[in-house]
Amino acid sequence: MGFLNVTGVTAGYTAADEILKGLDFTLEPGEIACVIGPNGAGKSTLLKAIAGLLTPSRGAITFKDRSLVGLPAREITRLGVAYVPQEHNVFPSMSVAENLEIGGYVAPAHMHARVEAVLARFPVLGRKRRHAARTLSGGERQILAMAMALMVEPELMLLDEPSAGLAPAAAERLFEEVRAVNRDKVAIVLVEQNASEALAVADRAYILVDGRTSRTGEARALAADPDIRRIFLGG
Amino acid sequence: MLTEFLQLLLNGAMAGTILAVPAIGLTTIFAVLRFPNFAVASHATIGAFAGYVANVSFGLPVLPAIIVAFAVAGLVGLATDELILKPFRATGFITTAIGSIALTLALENVVRFIFGNELRGYDLPLRRDWRFEGLRVGPQQVENLAIALAVTAAIFAFLAFTRAGKAMRAVADNPTLAGIKGINGETIARTVSFVGMGLAGLGGMLLGLDTTIDPLTGFRAILSIFAAAVVGGLGSVPGAVVGALVVGIGEEMSLIVLSPNYRSAVGFLAILLVLTIRPRGILGQRAY
Amino acid sequence: MANYLIAMAVSAGIYALMALGLNVIWGMAGQVNLGLVGFFAVGAYASALLTLKLGVPIAVGVLAGALTAAAVGAVMSLVTARLRGDYLAIVTLGFAEAIRIVASNEIWLTNGTDGLSGIPGPWRADLSPEAFNLYYLCLIAALVIVVFALIDRLGHSPFGRVLRAIRDDEQAASVAGKPTLAFKVKAFAFGSAVLGLAGALYGHYTSYIAPDLFLPLLTLYITLALLVGGVGNNRGAVLGGVVVVTFLESTRFLVPLVPGLTHVQGAALRELMISAALIVVLRLRPQGLLPEARMHPVLAKEQITVRT
Repeated sequence: MGFLNVTGVTAGYTAADEILKGLDFTLEPGEIACVIGPNGAGKSTLLKAIAGLLTPSRGAITFKDRSLVGLPAREITRLGVAYVPQEHNVFPSMSVAENLEIGGYVAPAHMHARVEAVLARFPVLGRKRRHAARTLSGGERQILAMAMALMVEPELMLLDEPSAGLAPAAAERLFEEVRAVNRDKVAIVLVEQNASEALAVADRAYILVDGRTSRTGEARALAADPDIRRIFLGG
Repeated sequence: MLTEFLQLLLNGAMAGTILAVPAIGLTTIFAVLRFPNFAVASHATIGAFAGYVANVSFGLPVLPAIIVAFAVAGLVGLATDELILKPFRATGFITTAIGSIALTLALENVVRFIFGNELRGYDLPLRRDWRFEGLRVGPQQVENLAIALAVTAAIFAFLAFTRAGKAMRAVADNPTLAGIKGINGETIARTVSFVGMGLAGLGGMLLGLDTTIDPLTGFRAILSIFAAAVVGGLGSVPGAVVGALVVGIGEEMSLIVLSPNYRSAVGFLAILLVLTIRPRGILGQRAY
Repeated sequence: MANYLIAMAVSAGIYALMALGLNVIWGMAGQVNLGLVGFFAVGAYASALLTLKLGVPIAVGVLAGALTAAAVGAVMSLVTARLRGDYLAIVTLGFAEAIRIVASNEIWLTNGTDGLSGIPGPWRADLSPEAFNLYYLCLIAALVIVVFALIDRLGHSPFGRVLRAIRDDEQAASVAGKPTLAFKVKAFAFGSAVLGLAGALYGHYTSYIAPDLFLPLLTLYITLALLVGGVGNNRGAVLGGVVVVTFLESTRFLVPLVPGLTHVQGAALRELMISAALIVVLRLRPQGLLPEARMHPVLAKEQITVRT
């Protein structure tokens, strides 16, 4: 059975606009795949299309053999696909604990227990459980956004440039958390500008250029590839 | 002299607490639906008249009549938002705001068509004012105050502790993310229209309980209601309460220097001052 | 009958002037103004008071009315310069109400709710009522043409272009180095001047003004006129004025057709019809009043937001 399959997807923000131009992408259960590429290549657009924020004009997206195209975002969340946007990914005026509650909104059973479990898993959040999300640092906010996604016990997580704007130390901690989440058998699609970290953390990598998959392969292999090193990793 | 001052302060605090009810309605609608809904004026009138009919024609005492006021105004608010204002929301908030003005005038005239322009009073038991320390307070005023406090507390509890209330705050805070996380924006919009306009209606009746009502009841109060919400910070529920107290006390205090007819002008001045100096109000967050 | 039509045409002319004024503020500069009846009132009272109490010649009074309204408009614009559209809506609405309250209460100045009567009209004493109406119609028509031409010239001038750029994207215009505040204030002042002019003309025509004539309903009528004609469109503004007056007058004939209505009910029905007409016209123009940048995030139709 296929897990996540994206085939020949064409999509953009308006009818005239095509950012993704026939894109193919697959993911196996429990795998981390990173998506890297230049600005405007369509990395974020790919995630938005999978998450249901954009409808592709052509192509297919299936998750566990079920078509996602045309479903509203909240339906897709309910199916076990958690999307973490790059920006505005928390509720700034609500407390950390309340953010987690909303994170788990589609599955309200045993909410209190699940919130406590997540707060225990991320001590930095546990310490600030009553603080408003807007008071968190950039790194803490990204952790909260991921924790919110974990509240629905997803099988697949879509992370859109989680380390953007973070200082190196915070980014390190973040990628540690990404590894930890994956160890809990959550498959992850990781879109990143920080190519070297992304390739280090991922199993497989996709290089997106101009709305299409330019190259794909094992992350380690691509990280060692001289062309990739030159273009994305600064030689 | 001090007694006079304290009396004004007391009156103002009580008036402010009552003003908080429709102000909360206005500010929650603004927080979630992102436009100033001028139709709050006519829904206050509708609530006042619904309560009047319940009280005078059906003989219900004040508390059940208040519930009728809330329910009728809420239902009308839900229906008019669904049928008339919702299509405007996709266009933009200015169009919706203007639509709400046309709506408020239309509804006000429906009330006028049915009830005419005469002043009407509720059927209340006659009670003597209480006096203490030279201050005077009417039992009906105290009852209104208690109702307003209870309603305000209920709204706070709803927003802070219930799943629906938190969902509403989430939509107000970040509507796109709320949708992603599974909250149905349409349901929240409907809930806020019902509750917000229900509060306006309840407020309208509270305002009229102490005096009389007519089709212009809501319209007369609209500047004060907006002033309360703006001063406290449009979109902030605690702000609406603080703003209402400030406006209520401010309007009473203005009696020291201005004639009573200028009360609404105080509201306008407050709006102008706040929007010039500190547009996000006392407790609000977004201003630009 | 002819006299009635002429009187209607005068009304249409005054509405057209107001629509033109609103068009400068709203259509060209993109500044929401729900308080235009306030500027109308300022112009009316300024001119009426000067001519009535100080015996100033009517032409001077009318000019003063326009200038006073312009000054008030400039101040209002300065004070509200940085406000978002919906806050501007609230403030302008409140402003109009405040004007009405002041006019109702400062009896020493405005005679309060009794209003000012006996406002002089040009050669009113020398002409028969019909002739006066006709004369006034010519005057109004001439003024509409002049104002129209002025605004049209303005629209096609560099000033107009910058104004439109500010309307469409203020940030971009400001980054491009345009002093956006100065432009907005000038546009607001100019539009207010036209509104004040209309108010002064109104007073001298009817010879009586009172605070209750300056209700938000009038703002609705003019907004309706602008919508019908097309916002940003000067010819449309004039056309809209004619259409709205025709509609208003026709309701006056339609309402008595409904049997058994009291006077109050008839008036309520008329206002109801007009509000409903505005809602219908607003619905029929899905592109709305202005190029509005912000789409409602919860219930927007397509694009990059959540489909719920």
